[in-house]
Amino acid sequence: MKIADKLVTWARTKSPWVIHFNTGSCNACDIEIVAALTPLFDLERFGVLQKGTPRHADVLLCSGAVTRQIEKRIIRIYEQMPNPKFVVAIGTCACSGGVFHDCYSVKGGIDSVIPVSAYIPGCPVRPEAIIDGVVKLLTKFESDERTRRNAK
Amino acid sequence: MTELSRENNIKDQLLVKFKFLGDKIVVKRDRRISADVDLLNFREVFSYLVNDMGFLRICMITGFDEGENFAAKYHLTDDKGIVFDLKTYIPKTNPVIKTVSDIISGGLLYERELVDMFGIKVEGLPEGERYPLPDGWPEGQYPLRKDWNKDMLKD
Amino acid sequence: MGTVKIPIGPQHPALKEPESFLISLNGEKITDVGMRLGYNHRGIEKAAEGRTYIQNMPLLERVCGICSHSHSTAFSQAVEEIAGVEIPKRAKYIRTIIGELERVHSHLLWLGVAGHEVGFDTLLMYSWRDREVVMDLLAEITGNRVQYAMNALGGVRRDIDKEKQEHILKAVDVLEERTKYYINIATKETTLIKRLSGVGSISKEDVIKLGTVGPTGRASGVTRDIRKDDPYAAYADMEFNVITDTHCDVYGRAVVRLLELMETYKILRQAVKNIPDGDVSVRFPRRVPAGEATSRYEAPRGEDVHYVKANGTDKPERVKLRAPTMANLQSVAKMLENNNLADVPITIAAIDPCFSCTDRMIKIDNVSSGKLEMITWGDLRNQSIDFYKREHGLDFAELNKKYRERGTL
Repeated sequence: MKIADKLVTWARTKSPWVIHFNTGSCNACDIEIVAALTPLFDLERFGVLQKGTPRHADVLLCSGAVTRQIEKRIIRIYEQMPNPKFVVAIGTCACSGGVFHDCYSVKGGIDSVIPVSAYIPGCPVRPEAIIDGVVKLLTKFESDERTRRNAK
Repeated sequence: MTELSRENNIKDQLLVKFKFLGDKIVVKRDRRISADVDLLNFREVFSYLVNDMGFLRICMITGFDEGENFAAKYHLTDDKGIVFDLKTYIPKTNPVIKTVSDIISGGLLYERELVDMFGIKVEGLPEGERYPLPDGWPEGQYPLRKDWNKDMLKD
Repeated sequence: MGTVKIPIGPQHPALKEPESFLISLNGEKITDVGMRLGYNHRGIEKAAEGRTYIQNMPLLERVCGICSHSHSTAFSQAVEEIAGVEIPKRAKYIRTIIGELERVHSHLLWLGVAGHEVGFDTLLMYSWRDREVVMDLLAEITGNRVQYAMNALGGVRRDIDKEKQEHILKAVDVLEERTKYYINIATKETTLIKRLSGVGSISKEDVIKLGTVGPTGRASGVTRDIRKDDPYAAYADMEFNVITDTHCDVYGRAVVRLLELMETYKILRQAVKNIPDGDVSVRFPRRVPAGEATSRYEAPRGEDVHYVKANGTDKPERVKLRAPTMANLQSVAKMLENNNLADVPITIAAIDPCFSCTDRMIKIDNVSSGKLEMITWGDLRNQSIDFYKREHGLDFAELNKKYRERGTL
């Protein structure tokens, strides 16, 4: 059991599968996320793979303030992800609603509907910051897992 | 061609046909003409602009809440770069206007916006999804009305 | 065969934007397309009424991240017109330069997305790598890769000094070489040509009737470009051609965008060479006198219209904007008529939709079995790649391999 645990943790931290979802952003953060996957920044060399479906993903990269229309969908996507799952709020709008925080059609940041594991502020977030944020998150996960297993 | 001659020609042609426009038709600058018209005469002027004066494209419809009335400004363009803004007034006591989709295509989404954001009833709109407000938006809440603010949403 | 309607949910990996389409199928042929938009509706117009003109500058810029300068400039132009403020010529040139750089980044972005939609992923990697040239340049000039905040009411916030001007010219040389390479691919690679030809067609008459704008409309032979028809900023001083094409299909839209890039490089060189000396901004009143103005801008996707009404205070009475994608969405149904389901991803991608500009899922309703199916964009894209491989022998695996092996240009 212990070895299987370790293997899973290793796989998750060494090769996290991400899914990207836009909850109502202006697309600036979204194109920077895609840029992070292209040759200059190349998230793939860290083993990060982009998946098209939440059922295969470890990390949900969310951009944009949550609009009323998208609220149910983001909750559904979150529920479809297997545990353990992480949600990364990318961009100021995802963190807190940003420049739209007081608009009638906006509920707020991502954490107004689902729990967020990491916040990466920026308007928009530079690809380097996205990589930095994801790596920090996974390092923390790895060390949390180790602590948890040692405590058993 | 002298400055604004094209624009002034358009204005003159319209004044000949619709004397009631009077001083409500203004050439603001090159490539910008605007006119105000009563709801009663609106369709006739609109139709003439589209069918007889070459303003074949509707690029936007702006709704207004002006206290006693609503208003709608139809932004029309021709292929020479001229924008003609035609504004008409819709009384709040009976906020109904006919769709212009029988005269010109391409205005559907803008008309749906008038419905969702102001509560103006656009007669003759085909069946379709609302725009732009989300599903489950409460009845009777029209965000762009001046007396509406988001605290009126009860959730 | 009964009608089948296909829903494509608002989450998909390629376009990055939520929207919902309802497609009615008869066999494999599309008979109708319904749209549910509004996923990105943030209530900007209402928010703008509660903020001062200066506070509205960053708000309006964030209507869309890809064409942020377009919205920012269109708004500034409208407000400056109402206030009767003429901005310095140097500022107009700078706005033009940033606008054209934005066009470069946007068209290269589109090229990559289009490649991805048909399975030509190497094109995505190459074009986005080349796009970094212009992103770096924009970051150097404006301080940010996206959301440049270059505009101020009354002009621009930063100057472009001689050194930056040199960098612009160098970058344009590099980008021009690379664009020629893409034009070569687009004109020589039969797999790509066959895949994009005849797909998503819309006739010239329908373009005029439905008011399609931008490269999408120009690919059907309609010569409409706000930079020429209703010049703003420094475009009246620039010599360039409006690119049109007569293919009327997705292939035409690709050709138009690539050739437009060549014209953009022309404009950039002229703007840098002829930029007049002077201030980059003038004083602007905090309270804008009562008045109204309609401003238009040729964003990378097409005509962007802004209308502002001022009432003498420091906050606008009404701000209304219509982004280009909203005008083009109304033509999507026409384009998809009688096409295959497999043509949906690339046809929608070809109008270069920016749903956050507009605001913005595809459902299949199997009438004969009574079941409602949902399909994600990713699955539809994979299905369409398989369809074209199976039915038409168009396989991008070879092309991907060929261009990957070439390495750097």
